[in-house]
Amino acid sequence: MRVVSSAPVVEPAPGVESTPEVESAPAVESATVVESATVVESAPVVESAPEPTESAGLYVHVPFCSAVCPYCDFAVQIGSASERTAFGALLRAEAALWSAWDRPIDTVYVGGGTPSRLDPGQLEPMLAALRSELPVRSDAELFLEANPEDVTPGRVDEWRALGVSFLSLGVQSFHDAELRALGRRHDGREARSAVETSLKGGFDTVSVDLMFGLPGQDLAAWSGNLDTVLALGPEHISCYQLTIHEDTAFGRRRARGRLTEMPESAQADFFASTHARLADAGWEAYEVSNFARAPRHRSQHNLKYWRHLPYLGLGPSAHSFDGARHRWWNHRALHDYARRITRGERAVEADEALDGEALALEALMLGLRTVEGIDLPGYRLRYGVDLHGLNRPLIATLAEEGLVQCEAGALRPTRRGLAVADGLAARFRLA
Amino acid sequence: MKNVRNFCIIAHIDHGKSTLADRLIQACNGVETREFRDQVLDDMELERERGITIKSNAISLAHTAEDGLTYRLNLIDTPGHVDFSHEVRRSLMACEGAIIIVDATQGVEAQTVANLYLAMEHDLELLPVINKIDLPAADVDRALEEVDRDLGLDPFAALAVSAKNGVGIDRVLEGIVEHLPPPTGDPEAPLKALVFDARYDVYRGIVLSCRIRDGSLAAGDRVRFMHAGTEYEVHEVGYSGFRREKIDRLPTGAVGYVITGIKTIRDVGIGDTLTLCRRPAEAPLPGYQPARPVVFSSIYPMSSDEYPALSEAIEKLALNDAALVYQKDASAALGFGYRCGFLGLLHLDVVQERLRREFDLSLVLSAPSVLYRVQTSDGARHEVDNPGLWPDPGTIQGVEEPWIQASILVPEKYMGAAIELCRQHRAASLTTSFLARGRLEVVAEMPLAEVLFDFYDRLKSVTRGYGSFDYEERDYRAGDIVKVDILVHHEKVDALAFLAHRDKARARAVHYCEQLAESIPRHQFRIPVQGAIGGNIISRATISAFRKDVTAKCYGGDVSRKRKLLEKQKKGKERMKLVGSVEIPQDAFVSVLRTDRA
Ligand SMILES: Nc1nc2c(ncn2[C@@H]2O[C@H](COP(=O)(O)OP(=O)(O)O)[C@@H](O)[C@H]2O)c(=O)[nH]1
Ligand SMILES: C[S@@+](CC[C@H](N)C(=O)[O-])C[C@H]1O[C@@H](n2cnc3c(N)ncnc32)[C@H](O)[C@@H]1O
Ligand code: SF4
Repeated sequence: MRVVSSAPVVEPAPGVESTPEVESAPAVESATVVESATVVESAPVVESAPEPTESAGLYVHVPFCSAVCPYCDFAVQIGSASERTAFGALLRAEAALWSAWDRPIDTVYVGGGTPSRLDPGQLEPMLAALRSELPVRSDAELFLEANPEDVTPGRVDEWRALGVSFLSLGVQSFHDAELRALGRRHDGREARSAVETSLKGGFDTVSVDLMFGLPGQDLAAWSGNLDTVLALGPEHISCYQLTIHEDTAFGRRRARGRLTEMPESAQADFFASTHARLADAGWEAYEVSNFARAPRHRSQHNLKYWRHLPYLGLGPSAHSFDGARHRWWNHRALHDYARRITRGERAVEADEALDGEALALEALMLGLRTVEGIDLPGYRLRYGVDLHGLNRPLIATLAEEGLVQCEAGALRPTRRGLAVADGLAARFRLA
Repeated sequence: MKNVRNFCIIAHIDHGKSTLADRLIQACNGVETREFRDQVLDDMELERERGITIKSNAISLAHTAEDGLTYRLNLIDTPGHVDFSHEVRRSLMACEGAIIIVDATQGVEAQTVANLYLAMEHDLELLPVINKIDLPAADVDRALEEVDRDLGLDPFAALAVSAKNGVGIDRVLEGIVEHLPPPTGDPEAPLKALVFDARYDVYRGIVLSCRIRDGSLAAGDRVRFMHAGTEYEVHEVGYSGFRREKIDRLPTGAVGYVITGIKTIRDVGIGDTLTLCRRPAEAPLPGYQPARPVVFSSIYPMSSDEYPALSEAIEKLALNDAALVYQKDASAALGFGYRCGFLGLLHLDVVQERLRREFDLSLVLSAPSVLYRVQTSDGARHEVDNPGLWPDPGTIQGVEEPWIQASILVPEKYMGAAIELCRQHRAASLTTSFLARGRLEVVAEMPLAEVLFDFYDRLKSVTRGYGSFDYEERDYRAGDIVKVDILVHHEKVDALAFLAHRDKARARAVHYCEQLAESIPRHQFRIPVQGAIGGNIISRATISAFRKDVTAKCYGGDVSRKRKLLEKQKKGKERMKLVGSVEIPQDAFVSVLRTDRA
C-alpha cells in the first residue's frame, strides 16, 4: 500500500513509464474534438498563476441501480449480476492505469448509481486497489452514496469498518406519494429508518438528499420534508430542485405535455423558503443546494469541484480535472468503458485544454454557486483577470439589487443571488 | 410633333405594369433580345421585388402604325407608388397620356383610383387596358363595368389584353397612337425643358431626362437651370432607347436625354426648367419644388463592424439620390451611424430597404423627426431635427414646427372616418369638397410631424385601402414641442429619445416603454423603463426580475457542459447593446422604432 502523507509525488511510480502523463492530454480513442476550449499546445496559459498545491479528490462512479428513476440522467443501468461482479476488477485495473497520478488524494467519493448495492465484499478490494495504486492519503475522507432501501444496521457497520466517514443518503422525500411519483424503491417509513440507522452508525457526517420543485408539489409538502429531516438531525442536507433532463422519462413526459414543470416564480419561492428555513434552524448554506450543520460537515469532496481543484474520476462517465487546465472524461456506456480497460487502455473518451478565459469563466460560475464566493485577489493571481476592475458598474448594480456582496476582497452571492447564479456568471466581462 | 406620343402606364401594384412595358418594348424592338432583361425599366432589384419603380426613367420606342407612319413612343416610367407624389407628378408632367391597367381578375383597386386622380389632375388622356385575360379567373365584363362606374372612363375604348402572353399588344400600340394626343408646344418660343429625372453615369457624369415643352435643345447650346440659376454647356442630346441614341437636336415635344458637364446629382434640381442662356424663357414651368429633406432619422448598423460598409453604401446611394442628405452621427447605445434627411417617409423607407437589400446591411433607425425651429433666450435661432441637439428646455423661448396641407381623397362613405383621423392628428382647418362619383376630398392643415408615424397606415385601414393621401408643405407655426427621454434602469438611451408635441408625448412614451418592456429579456434585477420630459416621469413600465435560474447540481461531470452553455450565452450577449448594466437586444430597438410607425 502506498501511503502518501504530505508531499506531492512528482515521479511516476516505477514501471509505468508507458502510461500517459496526467499533465499531457490523456489518450483519446475516438477522434473526438472538443470544440469550445482552445487547445493550447505549449504557451503557459495562466502566466502569473501559481498552480494550486492542494490535494486532489478521487471520484468513483458505480453505474448500477436496482431500477432507473424516471428523472435520472446519470450513467446508470440495472446491470446483471455478472456485470456487477466484473465491475470491481475493471475499476481496479483502471486505478492501476492511473498510477502516474501524482497529486495526493485526500477525499475519495464513491457515488453513482447506487454503490450501496455492491456488497461490502466487493467494495473492500476496490478501495484497497485505489489506495495501493493511487496516492491516497492515509487520512483521506471516504464518502459513500447509499439508497435508503440498502441501509441496515449490518451494512452500516460494514461501511464504517471500510472507513466511510461521510454517508450520503438518497432519501428524496419522506412522503410516500412523492416517492412513488419519483419511481423510488423505498417509502417514507424506510427513509426515516434509514436516516436513524445511519445516525447511529458513528459516521462523522450523515447527509440526506431531498428533492423539491416536483411537478404539482406544494410548499406545505416540502416544508413537511424539511421538518422531518430537521427532526431526524443529520449533519448535512442537500436540497436539490428537480431538473428535468430531456433524455429521461420525465423529459419525454414534459415534451408530450403530460408533465408540467414548476413555474419559475414558484421555484424561486421554494428555493428562498428552503434557504430561509434552514438558516433559521442554524444551518449554513455553503452552496446552492448544500447545507451543513457546522463547517466541518461540509462535503470536502464536493467543495473541490467548486473551488476549481483537481480531481480524478474513475468508472464510466467520470470526469477529471488536473487542477490546471485539462479536463477529460470517460466513456459513458459501461461496455465502451469495459472494452478500453480490458484492452489495457484508460477509458478516456475526450479531453479539452482550457485557455485562460475559459478557466476564469469556470472559476467564476463555480465560485458564484458558493457562499465563499470569489476571493478577488486570489482570482486575479490565479487567472490573471481583474474581475472587479472589469465589472465595476455591473457589480454596483448587482450589489444595489441585493444579488451580490462585495466586501473585504470577496465577491459573494447573496441568497437571492444564489438563486440566479447561472445568469449572473454570464454577465461578467473577463477580458 | 404629330408622330410623337409621350405616355406612362399607371396601375395598382401587380396588375401588370412592368409586364406590359416589357411587351411594348419588345414589340417595338426597342431592346435587342440578347440584351433584354425582364422588366427593363425596373433596374433596381428592390424595385423589382417591391414592384415599384422609384426612379423615373424613359424609354423611346419606334412604332410603325397601320397608317404607315412611324411614331416615336416615349414611355415614361413613373413610381408605382402614389406616395412619391412629387416624382410621379414630374413624370406625369412629361406626358400627354397614360395607359391605365386594370387586372381582369381583380378589377379596379385603391391605387388604380388614386393614380387616376393624379393623371386627371395633369389633364392626361387615358387609355384603359384590361390585363390578364388569359387567366381562368378573368372577368372582363366586370372589369369593364368598373372602368365605367369607378373610373368614369369609356369602357368601349378599353382594350383587353394578356401582357404575359403578348395578346393584344399590337392593339395597345395602335391605341396609343389613336387615343393619346401628340404633344403640344411652341417650337418658336424660347426653350422650356422640364428636367424630370437624372442619373449618374460613371463615364458621362450626370445624364438628365428632359421633356421639351417649348423651343428645342441642341448639343453645344448653353443652358440655364431657371430655379437654381446655374449654367452649363450641353455636350450631347438624344433619345433613350435601351442604349442612348445620339441626335443633334431635341425638338419641341420630345422626351430625351441631355448630358452637360454636371458632375454630381446634388447640382441638379429635379423638376427645374432648362432654358437657353442666349434666349431665356420668361418664367419656368410651374410646380417646381426643390428637393428638401423634411424627415430625419439616424441610421446605425446593427453591429459596429458594419459601419464602414454602411458609409460606403450611403455614398453609393447618394450618387443617384439627390434628395438624400447625410452626416456622421454617434450614439452611446448604438455606436457610429449617419443622421440622414429624406424627402418624406416613403423615401426613408426606400433608402433603408435599399441599404438592407442591395448592400445586405442590418440596420437600426431612430424615430423619424421633422426639422424644428427653436428660439433660445440668448436670441439665437436653431434648426433642430436631432433630439440629441435639443437645447436645454430652460433656455427655450419658442419652438416652431413645419405644417402641411394634406389632401385626402376618399369614397364618400369613409369621409367621417378620414375627418376623425385628421382631428386626432391635430388638424387645424378642415374642408371637404365633393368630386365626381361619390368621392370627395378632405383638405386639412396639419403638423408634418403628425403624419410621420401611423397616419398613412391608419388612413389605409379606416378607408379599407381606398383613401389616398398627399401633402404639400406649408409654413412653420408655433408648437409646444418637448424632448422625451427614454430611460432604461435609470440610464438614458440616446437613440430612443424623441421630440414630440406635448399632447402626444405621453402616448408615445407609454408605447415605447411597453414595447421595450416586452422585448428586453428579464434580468436578475428589476428594470424600470421610463419616459421622461426633463425630470418629469411621464410613462413607466417594469421588467420584473428573473428570480431563479440556477441548476441544482454542479459536480465534476457538469462543469464542462455548464461552461459551454455559459460561453454560448456570453456570445449571445455580445450581440446586445449594453445600456448601463442592462443588455438590450438589437431587436428591441428595431421593434420599438418600427412599431412606432405601424
Ligand atoms: N396570367 C397573366 N399574368 C400576368 C399578366 N401580366 C402580368 N402578369 C403577372 O402578374 C404579376 C405582376 O406583374 P407585373 O408586371 O410585375 O406588375 P406591376 O406590379 O404592375 O409592374 C407577374 O407575376 C406577372 O407575370 C397577364 O397578362 N397574364
Ligand atoms: C448522484 S445522485 C444519486 C444518488 C442515489 N443513487 C439516489 O438517487 O438516491 C445524488 C442526488 O442527486 C439528486 N438528483 C438526481 N437526479 C436529479 C434530478 N434530475 N434533478 C435534481 N436532483 C437530482 C438526488 O437527490 C440524488 O440523491
Ligand atoms: S437511484 Fe439514483 S442514480 Fe439510480 S437511477 Fe435513481 S436517481 Fe439515478
